Amino acid sequence: MTLERRKFDTLVIGAGGGGLRASLQLSSADANVAVVSKVFPTRSHTVAAQGGINAALANVLPDNWHWHMYDTIKGSDYLGDQDAIEYMCRSASHLVYELEHAGVPFSRLDNGKIYQRPFGGQSQNFGGDQAARTCAAADRTGHAILHSLYQQNIRAKTHFFDEYFAIDLIKDQEGFILGALVLNIETGEPLLLEAKTTLLATGGAGQLFRTNTNAHINTGDGLGMALRAGIPLQDMEFFQFHPTGIAGKGMLITEGARGEGGYLVNKDGERFMERYAPHAKDLASRDVVSRAIATEVREGRGCGENGDYVLLKLDHLGQEVLKKRLPGISDTIKTFLHIDPAMEPVPVFPTAHYTMGGIPTNRHGQVVVPVETGEEEIPGLYAAGECACVSVHGANRLGGNSLLDIVVFGRAAGNDIIKFLKENRYHRPLDQDSVDKAMARLHRWDAKGEGETVAGLRAEMQATMEKYCGVFRTEEVLAEGVEKIIKLEQRMKDVRLQDHGRIFNTARIEALELENLMDLALATVVSAQARKESRGAHSRMDYPKRDDVQWLKHSLFFKEDRRLDYKPVTLKPISVDSFPPKERVY
Amino acid sequence: MTFRAQGMRAWLLQRLSAIYLGIYILVLGTAWLLNPDLSWQDWRGFNGHPFVAVSTALFFASLMVHAWVGVRDVLVDYVPHSAVRLVLLIGIATLLVAMAIWSSFILLSVVRI
Amino acid sequence: MKFRIYRYDPESGRQPYIQDFELQEVTPGMMLRDALLKLKEQDETLTFRHSCGEGVCGSDAMNINGTNGLACITPLKSLKQPVEIRPVPGMPVIRDLVIDMSQFYHHYRAVKPYLIVHDPEPEVEYLQTPQQREKLDGLYECILCGCCSTSCPSFWWNPDKFRGPAALLQAYRFLADSRDQAMGQRLEELEGPYRLFRCHTIMNCVDVCPKGLNPTRAINNIKKLMVKDMV
Repeated sequence: MTLERRKFDTLVIGAGGGGLRASLQLSSADANVAVVSKVFPTRSHTVAAQGGINAALANVLPDNWHWHMYDTIKGSDYLGDQDAIEYMCRSASHLVYELEHAGVPFSRLDNGKIYQRPFGGQSQNFGGDQAARTCAAADRTGHAILHSLYQQNIRAKTHFFDEYFAIDLIKDQEGFILGALVLNIETGEPLLLEAKTTLLATGGAGQLFRTNTNAHINTGDGLGMALRAGIPLQDMEFFQFHPTGIAGKGMLITEGARGEGGYLVNKDGERFMERYAPHAKDLASRDVVSRAIATEVREGRGCGENGDYVLLKLDHLGQEVLKKRLPGISDTIKTFLHIDPAMEPVPVFPTAHYTMGGIPTNRHGQVVVPVETGEEEIPGLYAAGECACVSVHGANRLGGNSLLDIVVFGRAAGNDIIKFLKENRYHRPLDQDSVDKAMARLHRWDAKGEGETVAGLRAEMQATMEKYCGVFRTEEVLAEGVEKIIKLEQRMKDVRLQDHGRIFNTARIEALELENLMDLALATVVSAQARKESRGAHSRMDYPKRDDVQWLKHSLFFKEDRRLDYKPVTLKPISVDSFPPKERVY
Repeated sequence: MTFRAQGMRAWLLQRLSAIYLGIYILVLGTAWLLNPDLSWQDWRGFNGHPFVAVSTALFFASLMVHAWVGVRDVLVDYVPHSAVRLVLLIGIATLLVAMAIWSSFILLSVVRI
Repeated sequence: MKFRIYRYDPESGRQPYIQDFELQEVTPGMMLRDALLKLKEQDETLTFRHSCGEGVCGSDAMNINGTNGLACITPLKSLKQPVEIRPVPGMPVIRDLVIDMSQFYHHYRAVKPYLIVHDPEPEVEYLQTPQQREKLDGLYECILCGCCSTSCPSFWWNPDKFRGPAALLQAYRFLADSRDQAMGQRLEELEGPYRLFRCHTIMNCVDVCPKGLNPTRAINNIKKLMVKDMV
């Protein structure tokens, strides 16, 4: 049987906001683009983003992009690259207007402008009063943006491969990326998609943790593919725990709930955030709020029978605000907790939410790897969105910056790809070795017999990650975690599928996803164990302070020998003065 | 009756005809109820009045339109085979036209001009 | 808890059949999707789509005890036993509970579900009053799960020509948008006996919509716009 081959200028893997924004840019520039997605595009996880997208439109309170830049850098605990952050914050307003023109149904102010709400970590005037920077479509902003971007791609006649799973990147001897081997989920047939440029926009890996706010599909497939292609992953130890996931279940309650005036209380009814962040209170950065909640629970001030959560009070906001501004989470709370947020407070606990780390890229979306002196782009490979690490989020992402990240860097990658295509007009010859390797990955799952199950191993891995790589970390716990994950990883070879059908075999997809997750689990714990300081979301109880002398640097994890490398943080912005690291208080 | 009553027109005609049918039946029914002892002569005389005759003619026209749109809808939904559907449509149309002609003959025979 | 689940594997050459399943570990607050995942651990070949687990991605539409719904927001508690699960009706089945939604998506694309503006774009946002924006509530929230269209008899009878409630809801979402400038064109494209007018206000769509949307009202509003446009 011969492998079917198709050729495109550009291959985009992933049809969330990042992939769709890039493909829109490319389709509009008449590039021949194929978008591959393992689910129908509007089912991508961007759809679940709630609160909004940051841009200094100043529709509600005075604002400008420079303040946004400062907040993002401070939020990142100074690990964010300041050139990329400047680029993102400068483009934000323009890109939000563009989204609005594309049809996104933003909520409105009385004067007809886009509604903006306060969000965590936002300030006016470099650390002054609270700002209101998050543009929102009620609490369904991600849904509104994802659908609008997909709709615009329909208009631009982008070529979609819906329900195709990417197996591996195809790479030649010189290091050029030539496309990817993908699997048609419906027929079970592999397909080779050759492309002059490939953009990874596969999202995060929330499924690393048992309780998470993420969709089942968030298995970090692009990150796994990058690792196998010899590309390191950057800053994987920084995994964001969202302060307000529904306790024990994980469904996300947007930060917008606190932006609209909700607040957290412990079992004594105390508004405990006043102690941890006297100025910003409940709207401090997510890492700060998550740690505060975890501390309250650990010190015995949690609510409920087991004292294992705190309460988010929304009942004082009134029916009108809940209905108009927070209808989605009101529904979710009613569905999953059978309580009415207008009457009762909501039990919440920090929940795994966002992968700050990812495939190292520059601000043009090009994937970069370290070489002898400095770093070098991988020709033909791009990454954008949660799977990439530009890094604009550093050690902790601000709420409302992820939707911004995907549109800014989706577009930037699209633009740079157009440039690359002009200079590289022809497809390079295919590298058969690389194709064979990718096919081998697929065929490994044809092995029959008895063995471990995918579901069993995944559950163990998720439980291990939750226990050994959670909000608070110590050397001892992390060392044990590394050991356990290595053992789990070794058991992967014993996993056997019982379902060997070809047509819509979801068991096989889940096995391929677990392979990706296992590599990422390892990347995360190994990077976490190595970083001996506390910064942003990475909180070491044995090293409670940030250490800018030794650790103001990005970590890079290589799959080969689980090697770690480091690279400096870019402290120099494009055009303005640098924000040097200083103590971070909210 | 518009044979090629497209979506909007058909939908509108069906509703407008329904309104007329409703009003006509209501008015005539009320008249009947108020005069329970109507003789055949009175009844014929009443129907012979030009205004009533025109209203009745309109009633039948509306009935045909209404029936046509309704039956056509049913056939479109339940008879996917286009040749069979066409035969049935022509049959229905012929029947409706025949009924329309018949009813106009009856009306013409009673009307006093 | 007992389940009866529709199974179909085109590779087996076997006719579709109903398989009995039993789940021992039912926990309080468990949703149908959680149960299906547990059953999949028993039998890996059980196939269904699912993703977000909170009713926003629209992947896991299925026919549950005769009614279309999303498995992830259907509490087990609310279901009569044995729970009978089938693929949503009226579409080709690929395998088990997975259906081929191509036609559904085709109709969605056909209504041009994007803003059409002819005037030059301003350098800032288009202004839209909260009242104008409110008209989009109950329309833009659609997650394209397909529960509505696949419960609509008119869609069963004419799946190739009738746009179906989901696509028509989207058509109205843009007709109702104060920023859109293609009302005439949109209305014209819905003309004819099939695309819009197969709707006989059966209202199954309203009954089953997991997001509580009302496609029938949207369809009636389109008809009103057409009448207005005509006179």
